[in-house]
Amino acid sequence: MSVESDTGPAFAADLRQWIDRETLEAYAFALPYLAIFAVFLVYPLLKGLYMSFFEWNLLNPAQSEFVGLQNYATLLQDPMFWQALKNTTWFVVLTVPLLLLVSLAMALGINRGVKGTKVLKFFYFVPYVMTVSIVGFLWLQLYSANGAFTHHVGWLVGNVLGQEAFAMPALALVTVWWQAGFYFAILLAGRQGVSERLYEAAQLDGAGPLRQFKDVTLPQMRNSIMFVLIAGTVFQFRVFGQVQTMTTGGPNGSTNTLVYYLYQLGFQTFDLGYGAAVGYVILIILVGVSIINYYLVGQGVEG
Amino acid sequence: MSFADTAKDLIDVRVDVQTLYEVGVYVVLYGLALLWFIPLLRMFALSVTPSTQLFGFQWVPTRVTLAFWIETITTSDLLGRWILNTFIIASTTTALIVVVDSMVAFSLTRLEWPGRKAILGIIIASFMVPPQINVIPLFTLINRLGWVNSYQALVFPFVAGPLGVFLLVQFFRDIPEDLEESARLDGFSTFRIYAQIILPLSLPVITALALFVFVWSWNQYLWPLIVLQNEAAYTLPVGATTLQSVYAQESNRLMANLALISLPLFIVFLLFQDKLISSVQMQAGTG
Repeated sequence: MSVESDTGPAFAADLRQWIDRETLEAYAFALPYLAIFAVFLVYPLLKGLYMSFFEWNLLNPAQSEFVGLQNYATLLQDPMFWQALKNTTWFVVLTVPLLLLVSLAMALGINRGVKGTKVLKFFYFVPYVMTVSIVGFLWLQLYSANGAFTHHVGWLVGNVLGQEAFAMPALALVTVWWQAGFYFAILLAGRQGVSERLYEAAQLDGAGPLRQFKDVTLPQMRNSIMFVLIAGTVFQFRVFGQVQTMTTGGPNGSTNTLVYYLYQLGFQTFDLGYGAAVGYVILIILVGVSIINYYLVGQGVEG
Repeated sequence: MSFADTAKDLIDVRVDVQTLYEVGVYVVLYGLALLWFIPLLRMFALSVTPSTQLFGFQWVPTRVTLAFWIETITTSDLLGRWILNTFIIASTTTALIVVVDSMVAFSLTRLEWPGRKAILGIIIASFMVPPQINVIPLFTLINRLGWVNSYQALVFPFVAGPLGVFLLVQFFRDIPEDLEESARLDGFSTFRIYAQIILPLSLPVITALALFVFVWSWNQYLWPLIVLQNEAAYTLPVGATTLQSVYAQESNRLMANLALISLPLFIVFLLFQDKLISSVQMQAGTG
């Protein structure tokens, strides 16, 4: 470094800051992750947008035909897409409130310090460490003609996976069983973060269990309940494994969901450009949901 | 106790709301636990049910056989291969995430460099990108790299995710700066500050992250299903899919396989129950 650069133009000072030893060290620490992030997340994301403007040729990408926005136009008139969007929304509506209800009951109950807490926690949480394909095949058995579900509830609903009206609720039930433990853990932490003093004060004011729940528990657990609702919506919107292992979208398309449709386009009919467009629309929907949630939650916290 | 005393006690018992409430809590909690246990019970019960007893429904078989467990363990060479594949992929992913995420989080929170705020912003924003929507372009990339059926095809895309960076950035941020300053005065290099001060202080959060990533990577399904196209390269979750198609008619044999495949993580969970639950709880901050 020369002395005169001290008085030199601003960019020389900038340049020096870019290449001084500490900055280089800082880059060296950041580089491995950033390189992986750029190649395996950012690049595919941009490539997907690019592909969505083409009739993509799987075997010879160089011969792909540029079609502009045609994939997106097709999508707007694709009944399969709209059905998948409707089914996915229905799945979210079925799972998220039930997950919240069940996991909140688990968390509030466990927090009271009942006997056998450790065992109860084990049973609530253990399905979450199972992989979705095993969960799917296990429940396929339970729902089968000889399975425990059909044997005990079958007189009421029959073969659930074979009926358009019941197949999606059946998948939702599997999902609640599989994932309630995750939300239970989060809500338990949220409940344990509430100061017991608030309950003592409420009791002094003569509030019964119901009042305490409404005026102390719910408002104080607002953040973790919001997390369950928001993260739950975003996670459940991506449902794939349950559909792929249990119904492959049937019967009659009634359980076909967006990610499953994307998978079929990409890896069964090899319609890569169109699949990429579907992927981008899912992304836009989910980012929209996140932004709406962000403002709803943000305003709620302020207000 | 005389009859008169008992009668008196009975009369004294009032319908106490608090007691009823307490009983209700127990009924709900143990009821849920029972419901949650039934599918697992069915998996293990069926796995030891002799084929002659498969017809008709019974909660627990009257005769028990370990034949399918033994058969699965002794004759299935693919299963061993799948366990090995899954283990290698999950542990490599975990190790790589711990190393590169802690390095970048250290750089983003403890070192000064132009553009770091923007970079952190981009990483956090990538939370909104569901990995599932990236599978088509990612597959064309993996294909061009010649990585189909390889371990690295599963490792790198998972390492690119933002979760670990986000958790570690939050934690590193709160480590007080005086420790670091006095270390610098003692002539510590940047690397020693990272390796000997920041990392040891963050051990609890790093182990929780590692445990979560390991379980999560072990259970991945969609991406391995796409990128592994050869039975010998399968992970357990994908391998289970082939078992279903082979043993669809023999639920006892299938369940023995599925139970065996589930066992490794059941054991991990038994060993680290509290740690794993707290690693999930850590994520509530990511909302």
